[in-house]
Amino acid sequence: MSRAAARRVLPGFGLTLGYTVLYLSLVVLIPLSATFLRSTELGLLRFWEVVTAPRVLASLQLSFGASLVAALVNAVFGFIVAWVLVRHEFPGRKLVDALVDLPFALPTAVAGIALTALYAPTGWLGTWLEPLGIKVAFTPLGIVVALAFIGLPFVVRTLQPVLAELDRELEHAAHGLGATGWDSFRLVVFPTLWPALLTGCALAFSRSVGEYGSVIFIAGNIPMVSEIAPLMIMTRLEQYEYAEATAIAVVMLLLSFGMMLGINALQLWAQRRQGAR
Amino acid sequence: MSIKFEQVTKRYQAGPVVNDVTLDIATGEFFVLLGPSGSGKSTLLRALAGLTDIQHGRILLGGRDVTHVPARERGVGFVFQHYALFRHMTVAENIEFALRVRGVRAAARRKRSTELLKLVALEGFGQRKPAQLSGGQQQRVAVARALAHEPAVLVLDEPFGALDAKIRVELRDTVREVQRRLGTTTILVTHDQEEAFTLADRIGVMHMGRLLETGTPQRLYRQPTTRFVATFLGAANLLLAQRTAEGLRFGHELAVPFEYLAALPGHRDEVVAVVRPEDVEVAESAERLAHRAFTHGHVHSSGFAGSFERLVVQAAPDSGLRTAIGHEGPGEAPLRVEVLRTAAESATLPLAPGKRVVLGLRRFHVLPTPISGVVLCASDAARREALRGDALVQQLVGSMKARVIDADDDGVALASAGTLAVAGREPPAPASAGSGLRVVPGDADAVLRLARALGHGGAVLALPPGTQLPSRALLLCTSDGARPATLGVLASVMRHLPVEATYVTVQLPTAPRAEVTASFRRLLDARAELQAAHGLDVRTEVHIGDVDGWIVGLLAAEDAPLLVLGTEATAAELAGLLAGPLRPLFQAGARLPLLLALAAARPAASAAPASALAGDYG
Repeated sequence: MSRAAARRVLPGFGLTLGYTVLYLSLVVLIPLSATFLRSTELGLLRFWEVVTAPRVLASLQLSFGASLVAALVNAVFGFIVAWVLVRHEFPGRKLVDALVDLPFALPTAVAGIALTALYAPTGWLGTWLEPLGIKVAFTPLGIVVALAFIGLPFVVRTLQPVLAELDRELEHAAHGLGATGWDSFRLVVFPTLWPALLTGCALAFSRSVGEYGSVIFIAGNIPMVSEIAPLMIMTRLEQYEYAEATAIAVVMLLLSFGMMLGINALQLWAQRRQGAR
Repeated sequence: MSIKFEQVTKRYQAGPVVNDVTLDIATGEFFVLLGPSGSGKSTLLRALAGLTDIQHGRILLGGRDVTHVPARERGVGFVFQHYALFRHMTVAENIEFALRVRGVRAAARRKRSTELLKLVALEGFGQRKPAQLSGGQQQRVAVARALAHEPAVLVLDEPFGALDAKIRVELRDTVREVQRRLGTTTILVTHDQEEAFTLADRIGVMHMGRLLETGTPQRLYRQPTTRFVATFLGAANLLLAQRTAEGLRFGHELAVPFEYLAALPGHRDEVVAVVRPEDVEVAESAERLAHRAFTHGHVHSSGFAGSFERLVVQAAPDSGLRTAIGHEGPGEAPLRVEVLRTAAESATLPLAPGKRVVLGLRRFHVLPTPISGVVLCASDAARREALRGDALVQQLVGSMKARVIDADDDGVALASAGTLAVAGREPPAPASAGSGLRVVPGDADAVLRLARALGHGGAVLALPPGTQLPSRALLLCTSDGARPATLGVLASVMRHLPVEATYVTVQLPTAPRAEVTASFRRLLDARAELQAAHGLDVRTEVHIGDVDGWIVGLLAAEDAPLLVLGTEATAAELAGLLAGPLRPLFQAGARLPLLLALAAARPAASAAPASALAGDYG
C-alpha cells in the first residue's frame, strides 16, 4: 500500500499510528519486555526448574482451569441476567441493572472477605452447605465462586447492547415461518448473539486469570490444592526472588496471549458466519 | 384461502389503532390495504399473522377461527418491510427455514429452495449471505422464504418501502406475477396509491384505525364515498355546489342541468362535488368548450409533468365558486382549481400564467356525506372562538379538512365569513350556511333555536364547556324512521374521529318479550344498514332500563362519550325531549357532547344508492 493511497483513505493516518505505537509501547510493550528481560537473568535451566515446579504447575492449572469454569458459568447465567434485563419490564429493573456493576466497583479485597464470610464453614451459607458435604471456602470451588462474581459484569455488559439491538422482527419472522420458541432461539437468536457472548466470556476469563484480591481470602492457599498462580508470584516477590517471580509471570503471559489469540480467531470466524460485510 | 375480519379492534392506551374493521377477502384475491402511516394498516396485518393480539372481534382463515391460534400455526407467509432475513444463514438456508423447522429432509428442502429462487429470479444466489445482496434482491429472498411452506395466505407489509423507484416497479411486477401463478390469497400494505392501483384486485383504504372504504381501484377513484378517500387517492378538487330547482350550481354558473340530478337525494341543498383534475376542460371562451362552463378565471401557474401538464387556475372572485376544503389563516381561501391536460391538449392551446380561461366540467361525483363543512353558531365572537378551540371541533375540522363558517345563533352565516361580496352581484350562497354541521354551545335553548332554524333536517353538535376528545360514541335513535339520516351523520363523523362507536337500544326491564326481540332485531338492522350504506361497522348494545337512567349513567362515566341522538321529532317534540330525558345533559358541570341528527320527514323512495350520485354527461 503506497503512502499516498493510505493518506487519501485515512487522513492523519501517520500521526494516529505513531501515537498508537508510542502509547502501546509505554503502557504495554515496555513493561512486558522488562518482565521478559528480568526473567532471562535466571538462565534457561533455572527458568525451566522454576516454572515446572509441581506447586507452580498446580497453581497454573488451577488459575486457568478455575477461570475457564467461571467464564462458562457466567456465559450461562450472565446470558440469563442480560436477557431478563433487556426483554422484561419489572419493578426494580433499574436497581438490578445497577447491581450488575457492583463487582466492577467493589474493591476486590472487600468482595473476597465478604465471600469468605458467607462460605466459610461457620458462615451464613457455609453452615447450610457443610452438612451436605459441599465445601466452598478454601477449595477450588471457592475460587470459581469468587471468579464468577468478578466476571459477571463483563458478560452482561457485552451482551446487553447486542440483545437490545436484536431485531424483534427476526423472531416474528421465525414464528411466522412455523418455528417454536425453542427453534427460534436455537436457530435465530443464539447464532446472532454468540459472538458477543464469546467476547464477554473472553473478557471475564482474562480478568479472572489475573485476579488476586478477591480470590486470596476464599482460596485458603493450601499448597497443591488452592494456590493460584498470582499467589505464587506474590510469594516469590515477598522473598525478593524477582527473577523467579518474573519467570512465572512470563509463562502466564504467554499462556494468556495464546488463549486470547485463539478466542480472537474464533470470533473472527463467528463474525464471518454472521455474514458481516 | 378466504380471510375474514369481524369487528377487529386493537387499542393501545391512547385509543384504538384498529377500530371495528370488518372485511372479507376472497380466495386468490390480491387485496391492498392503503392508508397514511399510523392508520392501523400494518397492525391489522400483524393481527392476521398472529404477531399481535386483538382486544375485540374475530379473524377467520378459510372459515376457521384463528383469533387465538399462535402465529406459527396460522401458516401465513409474512414479508416484512425491512426484510428480516436471518443474516447468519445463507440465502438458501433462509428460504428453507420454514421447512427445516417442520422437519423436512435436506434433499427435499434443497429442491424447494432451488425452485423458489428460480421463481423470484435469483437462480444461483443460494450460497450467498443476505449482506452480499442488494436491497431488492434481499426482498426477493424474503418473498421466497415466505412462500416456502406453501402458505394459503401471503401478507406483505410495505415490502417496497425501503427500495428505490426503479427496483420497486420491477419487484412489484415480480410479486404480481408470482401471486397470479400460485393463486395465493394476498394482502399487501402500502401508503403508495400508484402501487395500490397497479397491484390490487380490490383496495381498502384505512384512516385512523378505520377501514373507510373498500372497492375496485376504479370505483374508489371514480366514486369515493368519503372526503378522505377522494383526496387521498389521486388529486381532487373538492367544490361546494348548490342544488337548486334548475340544477346544480357551482357559484353563479348553472353547470349541471336538472335532468342529470334527478337521482340526488332531496334533503340537502348544498353538496360536496369531487372534480378530478383530468375531468376539467380548459378553453379561452365558453363557446369553445365541449361541456358546460362551471367557472372562469386566469391561469395561476403551469407545471410540466412529463406526458401531462398541471395547470392551476385561479377562479375569478365574481364567479362565486366555493371550495369545500378549509384553509388556515384569516380570510377566504384563494380558490384554485387544479387541471391536468395531456401534452397534445397543451400543444393545441398553450397557456401562460395570467391568461384568462373558462373551465368546463367533463365529469363529477357528488359525495354522499350530509355534512359539507362546520358552522360555528353562537351569538357572539367570544363563544365562537371557544367552540373553535374545542378539542372535538379541532379534530373534526383537521381530519375532514373542512371549511369552517362563522354564523349567528340562528345559523345564519356572517357576511364576512361567506363568499367574497362583489359589488353589483348578490352573493350566491343563500343566507343559510349550507348543509354544514352546526356547532353550538351546550345549552338547551341554543339547540332548540337552531333546530327550529334548520327545519328541514341537519346535524347539530352541542358542546358544553370543558369537553374532552371522546374515545367512544354511543348512538341512539328515537324512532326507526330517524335511522337512515342518523347513520349518515354518524358515518360522516366517526370516519373523522378516533372513537369506538356503539349502537344502543334502551329496553325497559318490564318490556314484553315481543318488544325485546324487536329491539335486538333493530340492532342487527342498524349494523347491516350502516355496513351496506356506508361500509362501516359498529358495536351493538342493549341497555336494560330507561332512557333517563341511561343518560344519567353516561354523565357519571369517567370518560364522557359522544352521544349521537337521531330523531324525527318536530320542534315541539324536541323541546319536550330537551326538557325531559335530555335535561341532565345541559346542567352545570355536565360534559357530554351531544350530536343531534335531525331527520326530515321525507318519502322513503328518495334513499338513492351512492352510485347514482355521479354525473357523466355531455
